[in-house]
Amino acid sequence: MDGVQFIDDIPAFQAGDIPDAVAFRFGDADLTYTALHSAADRLATTLRDAGVQPGDRVGVYVDKSLDSAIAIYGVMRAGAAYVPMDPGAPLARLTHIAEACGLRIIVSKERKAAGYEGVAKAVRMMDRVFTADGAVLWSSDRSTPVATPRARRPDDPAYVIFTSGSTGTPKGITHTHASALAYVRMSADLYGVTAEDRLSNHSALHFDMSTFDMFTGPYVGATTIIISEMHMKLPASLSALIEAEAMTIWYSVPHALIQLLERGGLDKRDLSALRWVIFGGEPMLPDALRAFAGHTPGAWFSNSYGPAEVNQCSFKHLSANALDGSPISIGRPCAHADLLIVDGDETAAEGELLVATPAMMTGYWNDPARNAAAFHTVKGKRYYRTGDLVRRDPDGELHFLGRMDRQVKLRGFRVELDEIELAISRHADVSEAAAVISGVPARISVYITARPDTAPTADDLRAFAAQSLPPQAVPSTITILPAFKRTATGKIDRKHLSEAS
Amino acid sequence: MTDPTTIDRKSRIRDFIVAKLLNGRAVGDDENLLLSGLIDSLGVFELIAFLEKSFGLTIPLDEVVLENFTSIDTIDAYVATKQA
Repeated sequence: MDGVQFIDDIPAFQAGDIPDAVAFRFGDADLTYTALHSAADRLATTLRDAGVQPGDRVGVYVDKSLDSAIAIYGVMRAGAAYVPMDPGAPLARLTHIAEACGLRIIVSKERKAAGYEGVAKAVRMMDRVFTADGAVLWSSDRSTPVATPRARRPDDPAYVIFTSGSTGTPKGITHTHASALAYVRMSADLYGVTAEDRLSNHSALHFDMSTFDMFTGPYVGATTIIISEMHMKLPASLSALIEAEAMTIWYSVPHALIQLLERGGLDKRDLSALRWVIFGGEPMLPDALRAFAGHTPGAWFSNSYGPAEVNQCSFKHLSANALDGSPISIGRPCAHADLLIVDGDETAAEGELLVATPAMMTGYWNDPARNAAAFHTVKGKRYYRTGDLVRRDPDGELHFLGRMDRQVKLRGFRVELDEIELAISRHADVSEAAAVISGVPARISVYITARPDTAPTADDLRAFAAQSLPPQAVPSTITILPAFKRTATGKIDRKHLSEAS
Repeated sequence: MTDPTTIDRKSRIRDFIVAKLLNGRAVGDDENLLLSGLIDSLGVFELIAFLEKSFGLTIPLDEVVLENFTSIDTIDAYVATKQA
């Protein structure tokens, strides 16, 4: 595999090496490496005939299924970058993405007609919508442009993922085949992934964590089990699937683990096949992880840290015995990553984390202003500014302190919203907590969800918070919600809370 | 002949789902409600709370599974067995 230069070479390589091994599985259906390779080649031919050429972008707008795998590999095989479009997103967002990166072609499915037809009407450049099998779902009246073929390069974009955009318009994080492969090779080594492994694909395509499942799994010849939308919403069915499929590597946002823990009926499940439980995207609650570990004999845990702009760049591996309820560090730099902590222009033990790695994005798609702000050159080397505050302890481990934009001054005091969330989530009845600042004068509002069969009161929770937080950080109000509204990637939608409070 | 309480039960379930969880979008009784763009995780919570309150049920977490919660038909059949 050392000779692989493009992500879409992976199925071709494995089809020669292990033709009948299962690359992807969804429900009861298997997609072998041979089938994936030939289906991707077929779709690539259809796309090329429709004028797609290296450097183009093609939308992928499908529910999680085997089509997800065929569509992304087929688009890349045609030399284009795939642009995942959240199948649950409103039309305005889909249209914005299509316009922002000049989509002419989308791969979709008939049941998503309302979405792709809406985009096709609104976006002038739109020309064709195909199924993953290459059937035409929608076509403009225009004639197909004649492509001028050019050779592919490893620094052609492989995918463009639009972030949910906590502020302003979505940003198109652009990764090349070279940056994607750098991440794939690092992650395959870091977790010792082999052809025997059975990976979960929990993250949808529009979430960067999916590249581990969709690329790293195939890179080593493993099987990736694509988890349906239905299973994602029903933790008791999800836990049954993990057992039935004997998944060995789990990778998700912390929220999915918490849902499994609270509603997955784990007492009745045998999850002993799991050898890695990897989580990332936001901080994991230490107590919840410890409780989860009680159901996964034989599993190691790993906190995977890294913004989508750079992919994973640090890790903290933990055995079940090491889970003592203290905050989980983001650990040490991955082998391929150069991490720098700066306070202003000086390097420091505490400050903003800067990252340089070969797995770094080339930039945000067609967004010079944001690109100018996103990178920082130190001694001739280009670093990505994470906007995350971290501290390096005397042992060299990194601790995530919070987002720089989540550190606020309130009546002259520095207040860390993440610290407030962690303090309140330690209450025995609290499942998850979210702290936001709003109003004039600014005040802290905290929202929580309660664990099943508990009924905490706001007064109890405030009193509890006051025991560990400085007075200025004690929230003015605490509201108990039945459940949080989530962003497209499964994180708590704090912007929504902030607007509502 | 269909028992009138049966019709009533299914239409109450359907009315709640369409009005409260799908913003008025019509769905078939056998349509998958958990695919993208339909009921989200938050909606599943609301649905369970509605069923417990409206039909006087206690729904254990390990029964909130695909077999019972995929469509209006399966939800109705599940509520029927709980009421029996």
